[in-house]
Amino acid sequence: MLDQLLKKIIRTGVGRSRFIMAGIGLTIAMLLILSAVQIQVNYNELLYGKSNQDSIANFLVVAKVINGNKRENVLSTEEVEKLKRQPFIEKVGLLTASRFKVSAQSPSDRFPFYTDMFFESVPDEFIDVKSDDWKWEPGSTTIPLIIPNQFLDLYNFGFAPSQNLMQLTQSMVMALPIVLNVTYQGQPIRFTGKVVGFSDRISSVLVPQNFLAMANKQFGTQGDARPSRVVIRTSDPGNPELAKFLKDNELVTDADKTRFSQYRRIVNTVVNASWLTGAAMLLFALLVFSLFIQLTIASTKNEINLLVTIGASPKQLQRFLMKQFLPANVIITLVCLAVITILQYVLQAFLAKQNMNVSSWVSWYTVVTAAVILIVLWLVNYSTIKKYIKETEK
Amino acid sequence: MEIQLQQLVPIPLKEKFSQRPSNIWNTGIAFRAGDWIKIVAPSGTGKTTLMNILYKVRHDYEGSVKWDNRDLKSITGDDLAKLRQQNVSVIFQDLRLFENLTARENIELNRVLQKPFYEAATIDDMAGLLGISHILEQRAGVCSYGEQQRIAIIRALVQPFEWLIMDEPFSHLDNANTHKAADLIATECKKRKAGFVLTDLDEDSLFPYTHVYSL
Repeated sequence: MLDQLLKKIIRTGVGRSRFIMAGIGLTIAMLLILSAVQIQVNYNELLYGKSNQDSIANFLVVAKVINGNKRENVLSTEEVEKLKRQPFIEKVGLLTASRFKVSAQSPSDRFPFYTDMFFESVPDEFIDVKSDDWKWEPGSTTIPLIIPNQFLDLYNFGFAPSQNLMQLTQSMVMALPIVLNVTYQGQPIRFTGKVVGFSDRISSVLVPQNFLAMANKQFGTQGDARPSRVVIRTSDPGNPELAKFLKDNELVTDADKTRFSQYRRIVNTVVNASWLTGAAMLLFALLVFSLFIQLTIASTKNEINLLVTIGASPKQLQRFLMKQFLPANVIITLVCLAVITILQYVLQAFLAKQNMNVSSWVSWYTVVTAAVILIVLWLVNYSTIKKYIKETEK
Repeated sequence: MEIQLQQLVPIPLKEKFSQRPSNIWNTGIAFRAGDWIKIVAPSGTGKTTLMNILYKVRHDYEGSVKWDNRDLKSITGDDLAKLRQQNVSVIFQDLRLFENLTARENIELNRVLQKPFYEAATIDDMAGLLGISHILEQRAGVCSYGEQQRIAIIRALVQPFEWLIMDEPFSHLDNANTHKAADLIATECKKRKAGFVLTDLDEDSLFPYTHVYSL
């Protein structure tokens, strides 16, 4: 009853059109900000979401740029330490090379081959092949090998057709024992090599670390070699900072994986711009709303004065005025959230067709942002009303 | 509730009052709970000023006004509202109704500002007693002064109070209506064991006053 009477006295229709304009401004600002948040979340989900990640993306093999001026392009200890210090690099694994002569040959005449070769090893956590056979027991003469997928491709699509040889499947290669001859003091020492997996990540012939350590110690002919390559693990290979760091330090990696950083920069700029625009608009919308409240109070100054005179408390008036303005804010927030929810649903369907997976629901961040904005609106309303009621009393 | 006035002088009338004796101005006086006080004074001697100071709509004075030993100047905001809702009611000389509200709405507003003291039906009873039942649904702005004054009287009586402040409350009423209104006021004050301060131009015997002062 009191509210009805107050409504009749304090006419909030000081300008329905002004009120609607203020509301529209607020709606647009809120939509901009909430969509900026949602886009950011989607974007992160696309970048880091499990379903979008492929296994090779997070590991990069990094080497010095080869420019032909130096005989050796090795990474110094300082350079490795520097890599380890970078915040965007989580782990660094050194590729250790073999320091003895080794050759491989086929045991069968059906696939005759002979080649000098080399081994490298890297900590297991950097290897993308999971196999129970990937282990070497001291004393064993059977050595598990991991070879690059590209080797098999080269053979199957380049070498085999040209030599009129049979093309091989991965399992055929894995079934084939390979004779390995390590040369030690002029004498060959025979091992049996067995391919246990194919790596997309590291283009080298890998053997277990403990074998290479033993072999280097026992058969090694050259002194300590510094690594020319390292494997790094990064949470985000498309990180523009990583690309810049590598470039500044004359390092290279698979360009494919870091090229994404170019697009990232552009998208980042766009998202930031929509943040700024949204924030600026929100500020204006808040200003318009608070001016609107001031106008309402100023235009009913005499009535509010008389109400206070006959005993209406500032609290009662504040509560009444809040009831006039806050529901509009709540409705605007809910409408904006609903619009964003629908847009997100549509976007999800659209992106799914292109094999990009984002959630079909708005993120919590978006909902929390909406709530925070609502709280800010409440504070602005409350403080404006409180301030102007107090001024009217004087 | 006791009202104490100490060396009270309105600043705009300072020179005028310092030169002549008065029961109220520039002296010490206390209105005790339940006192029925009449203040008689000719025009221009500050009756309305006194009422406005007691009700705290004017603050331009020297000296002090204390409600139950609390300086009125220190009572503000929600505390002041509580005082006006629970302890003090008022009938202004210039009535001060909301012109756009009906007579009933004007009264109802003061009834529901606090936890209602009376049922809504009391408005009809009082309007009946004062003879304004027929204008209850009219906008206050179109009512005659006599009607507005009776609306203002009823508005003051539907709330709880310990003191009723009345500034020439019968100025627009004829004799018969003045008596009806005075009877209603006396009944309501007795019901609440409330005191009142009433100002008027002349002496009268409408109430059994406990004190009569001249300004």
